[in-house]
Amino acid sequence: MSDTLESRTRTTTASPAVVLPPRPSRLVQTVATAVVGLVLLVSVTTLDVEWAALRDLPAAVGEYGVLMFADPDWSRLPRALFEMWRSISMAWLGALLCVVVSIPLGMLAADGVGPTWLRFTLRGVFAVIRAVPEVIIALVLLTVTGLTPFTGALALGIAGIGTQGKWTYETIETLRDGAADAVRAAGGGRTAVVRWALWPAALPALLSFALYRFEINIRMSAVLGIVGAGGIGSMLANYTNYRAWDTVGMLLIVVVVTTMAVDAVSGALRRRIMEGP
Amino acid sequence: MTPGTTAEPATRSELPPRPRTWPRRTLIVSALAAFTVATCLPAIGGVEIDLGAIAQNWRRGAANLSALLQPNWAFVPRTVQPMLETLQMAFVGAAIAAALSVPLTLWAARPTNPHTPSRLAVRAVINVIRAVPDLVWATILVAMVGVGALPGLLTLVLFDVGIVVKLVSEAIDSADHPYLEAARAGGATQHQMNRGLALPQNLPLFANQWLYALELNVRISAILGIVGAGGIGRLLDERFGFFAYGDVSVIILEILVVVLIIEAASHLLRRRLA
Repeated sequence: MSDTLESRTRTTTASPAVVLPPRPSRLVQTVATAVVGLVLLVSVTTLDVEWAALRDLPAAVGEYGVLMFADPDWSRLPRALFEMWRSISMAWLGALLCVVVSIPLGMLAADGVGPTWLRFTLRGVFAVIRAVPEVIIALVLLTVTGLTPFTGALALGIAGIGTQGKWTYETIETLRDGAADAVRAAGGGRTAVVRWALWPAALPALLSFALYRFEINIRMSAVLGIVGAGGIGSMLANYTNYRAWDTVGMLLIVVVVTTMAVDAVSGALRRRIMEGP
Repeated sequence: MTPGTTAEPATRSELPPRPRTWPRRTLIVSALAAFTVATCLPAIGGVEIDLGAIAQNWRRGAANLSALLQPNWAFVPRTVQPMLETLQMAFVGAAIAAALSVPLTLWAARPTNPHTPSRLAVRAVINVIRAVPDLVWATILVAMVGVGALPGLLTLVLFDVGIVVKLVSEAIDSADHPYLEAARAGGATQHQMNRGLALPQNLPLFANQWLYALELNVRISAILGIVGAGGIGRLLDERFGFFAYGDVSVIILEILVVVLIIEAASHLLRRRLA
């Protein structure tokens, strides 16, 4: 054992002078690291943050943690559940609207389905909707339609179209061509290809994305509530403003438990849809 | 089984019987329909579908919309400073989160942390962090540490850590690890394995998610100001409050441009990493 090791080290120490290639240049990495580091340094020093306040943060977290969770105010739980259901409703209706709109549009935007001009227009629209933060789309819509849970649901539906449409056409494009070719060979037109080749093959993935949209919307609907659309977010923002910490603690527990429960159920459903029973 | 029973269906038809899917299908569809109806009942908290109100609001809304379509370009200089603050928050937040995410991820994945209780504990904390929406974190942190960029920064760090740790630790969990197993067989300690193999091996994954976190940060930090957590969102909220829609549309356009630039840059970098 030691003999073979020794001989191996001998060969490796003997050869380097002859065979070793030159070390690859690390100039690019070094410069990139330096630039990122410099920008970071400048950002940290010029950012208007009192870093000293961080020292008090652990104490503050502890203090507010006790205020919120030592004795949560469960007397307002019925009201909280009512508002939570409102948020879930917003999320569900928003997801429904988003999916109903984005599946046909996304299909038309897929390679080989819609005409080229329509494909590029739709992809452009999706990209713009994706780039604007959802809350801002919601805010703009809410100036048009007023602040109600219904308009919140509409906002969620429209804000999600960008991403959902992209997922839809990407799903369609990753399908194998076999079924579509077969339908075409049998004389089917564009509609027949979509109905009999693409739709059945893409359906599990599209359903799974629809559920995922619902999960995203559950979080977004709480955010819209903070902006004023109603639901658990509005209640949370109000009680935070009143500094009624015991109620805020209860509301946070409701939000976390609900979100995790929805994630778990929806995740299990998604796995079942994608992998079968 | 007698040969006659097996031969009988074949004589009638070559096709196997259609599977009976309709009872299940009806059940699923009616469950979904019932859920949807329940979300539309205002009495239990559902959404009141009121198209009439929208029609009523439409005239005022149309006026707002046309105001939004006329950007007030003179407002641009006032947006530069808040926009810079937004970008700084996004960048610093992503950097801090990147530093924090490495140990936490290695802690949360099975191959790099065989100790189950500590792994589950880290995962539970990450899941709770992820279950609270970003703006809810910001609202609470603003109440705790005061208005400014600090609560915004903390929100971004929490959000990024949640995403990066979840995605990367799940990727590590689901991959095969021949090198780690070889190192374990060779007698390496867990620390040596993580430091010498798991970390360098997964660094591209990490870098990918860090860039993704940076992209998300630019978007989120643009709206954090709405609840008082610094950046361009504060200006956006203020202008919305004054109904200065021309200024609002300038801010929105700027956010759009910045997000697109950051996404393009990050896309390029990620292609190089892959």
